[in-house]
Amino acid sequence: MIWFVRDFDLLSLLLRALSFALEALAFGGVFFLLFAARPANLDSESQARLRCVAAGFALALAVTQIALIAATSAVLIGSSGMGLRDVISAAYFIAGTIFVAASLTLSLLLRVTSKLTLAALPGLVALAASVSLSHAASRMDHRLLLVVLTAGHHLGMAAWIGALLFLLIALRLNRDAEISRQMARRFSAMAVISVATLIFAGAGLSWFYAGSWQGIYGTSYGLILSAKIVLTALILTLGAGNFLLLRRVESDPAPLLLRLRRFSEAEIGLGFTVILAAASLTAQSPSVDETPQDTLTGHQVAERMEWRWPSFHTPSFSQLAPPTPLSVAVREATYTGGSVSDANDRAWSEYNHHWAGLIVLAAGALALIARLPRQGWARHWPLLFLGLSIFILLRADPECWPLGPRPFWASFTAPDVLEHRAYAVLIAVFSIFEWGVQTGRLRQPRARFVFPVLCAAGGALLLTHTHALGEGTDEVYAELSHTPIALLGAVAGWGRWLELRLDDRAVPQESRPRRIAAWVWPACLVLIGLLLLNYRES
Amino acid sequence: MQMKRISVAVLVGCAAMLLPRIAFAHAHLLSSTPAASATVHGPDVAIELRFNSRVDGRHSVLTLVTADGHTAAVFLDNQSAENNLKAHAALKPGSYTLRWQALSTDGHITRGEIPFTVR
Repeated sequence: MIWFVRDFDLLSLLLRALSFALEALAFGGVFFLLFAARPANLDSESQARLRCVAAGFALALAVTQIALIAATSAVLIGSSGMGLRDVISAAYFIAGTIFVAASLTLSLLLRVTSKLTLAALPGLVALAASVSLSHAASRMDHRLLLVVLTAGHHLGMAAWIGALLFLLIALRLNRDAEISRQMARRFSAMAVISVATLIFAGAGLSWFYAGSWQGIYGTSYGLILSAKIVLTALILTLGAGNFLLLRRVESDPAPLLLRLRRFSEAEIGLGFTVILAAASLTAQSPSVDETPQDTLTGHQVAERMEWRWPSFHTPSFSQLAPPTPLSVAVREATYTGGSVSDANDRAWSEYNHHWAGLIVLAAGALALIARLPRQGWARHWPLLFLGLSIFILLRADPECWPLGPRPFWASFTAPDVLEHRAYAVLIAVFSIFEWGVQTGRLRQPRARFVFPVLCAAGGALLLTHTHALGEGTDEVYAELSHTPIALLGAVAGWGRWLELRLDDRAVPQESRPRRIAAWVWPACLVLIGLLLLNYRES
Repeated sequence: MQMKRISVAVLVGCAAMLLPRIAFAHAHLLSSTPAASATVHGPDVAIELRFNSRVDGRHSVLTLVTADGHTAAVFLDNQSAENNLKAHAALKPGSYTLRWQALSTDGHITRGEIPFTVR
């Protein structure tokens, strides 16, 4: 049972993040149908297909909630001796059951009727259930206000990012340029209102949960919140580009609508990264609840970010603290958050980060050089990442196989080890694919998208990454590097995506946005390399 | 059709992003009696944990671990406040660890432990 209790922390957040994303998509579908597709007179067949997609997301939302209730109940029953009868009276079980019923009803209504106002009713019930399972509902102070702000935040996200996917699908289904233009214009108006709602509610929640400026830069919660704000600003920039495109769309609709779709894809991708960050925040204690001992001061942050030449000296494996048996480590970490790192552990970790930085810096520099004329040799830069993947596998977790005594499969029960292994695989896969693409060995169109999708995924994954560094500010020090790296990873991925997607016959070659995107992602790799070279855990 | 495939790729990519961080800090323990590493007088020991958010007293669990590793469940009293867990225990002199598992009303489970000594 102890294994499951430990992994439950992983599973719980996975399901919550998925639930957030599906909720935004299901509600977003209803918003788009109500305020864009129907008023723009999209044909009934296309509307039915959009309803079908939204119904699918609502159904998936119900299934996700069932899984979440089941996992929480299994842990409670297994770890406390409670029976099922006791568990079903818990608030989470009741709210979750209502959430499931409302999502199923929403899914059913979207399939069987075109009366969207009818479908909005179970949608509202699902929203209420979702908010009752948020931070806001469990706070002691200002609860009602926080609940209202949280509901506004959910609705704003759904009507913007969730509905945006439906705009893309509708533009694909519809062949009439005038209707497409109308839908895009109506969506744009809806997006302005939803973004305003989202930002207003987000600012209000930040005010209560961060508590002070120090709560923004000095805690893990604040740093992830900052990442959310930066990502939202990026999406807004892309959205503003779309808004300006729409003003010119009447003169030459086809290529401009195509470019609008390409920008929207990157918006959606970054939008889901924001949703992931939001799910990550639910697992963090708000900054306002942290003690001064767990919060960095401005001086400490400035000192930490100051450039220092990296050290390429590592302690030997024998100098590291001997690993405890895995069963003991897992049990202890269940209640304490893991053992505290000593100086050798930190030096080992910093050495790993510094070498990784050197590799990423070299890859970014070569990717930039490869853009210059007659520098084709530099196109082999992705192979450097293959070396990074092997390096992570060998050194990231010294207590585990192949260096340490913990066997390969058993070590996966530690979430940070699992994440390191996932990184190693992710990096190996994208390096091989991108090397094939860059050198012309892989000519399949889909192969080109492996690097940007996995790079963006890696960035987002890092946003959720944590080390069990114990109490105090160690975790915050690590986040000071990880959070900007995560942001740059996501931007690099979606930058490369845009470069590839704007390379279309209908769009002029080397258009300005494409040229910018093509320089942005290698520059992001260079910056990631520099941040890793300056990595410190204290 | 290509668009559909790319959309699926984006969604799969996003799903891959959703690997989580450890959820240790939701119902955050603000203070406790006994405090961590404190020494208290026995045999009657009052236990009170105060959290930053509402916790479900009927579905939260306290366990005492003795120095030799034996565990015993602690029965919770009625909650005096929505963010409190209270209990009483009759303890012999020695070292103990109080392990708590709190279910917050939003469905998050958090855990921790408080070592203390009874004189």
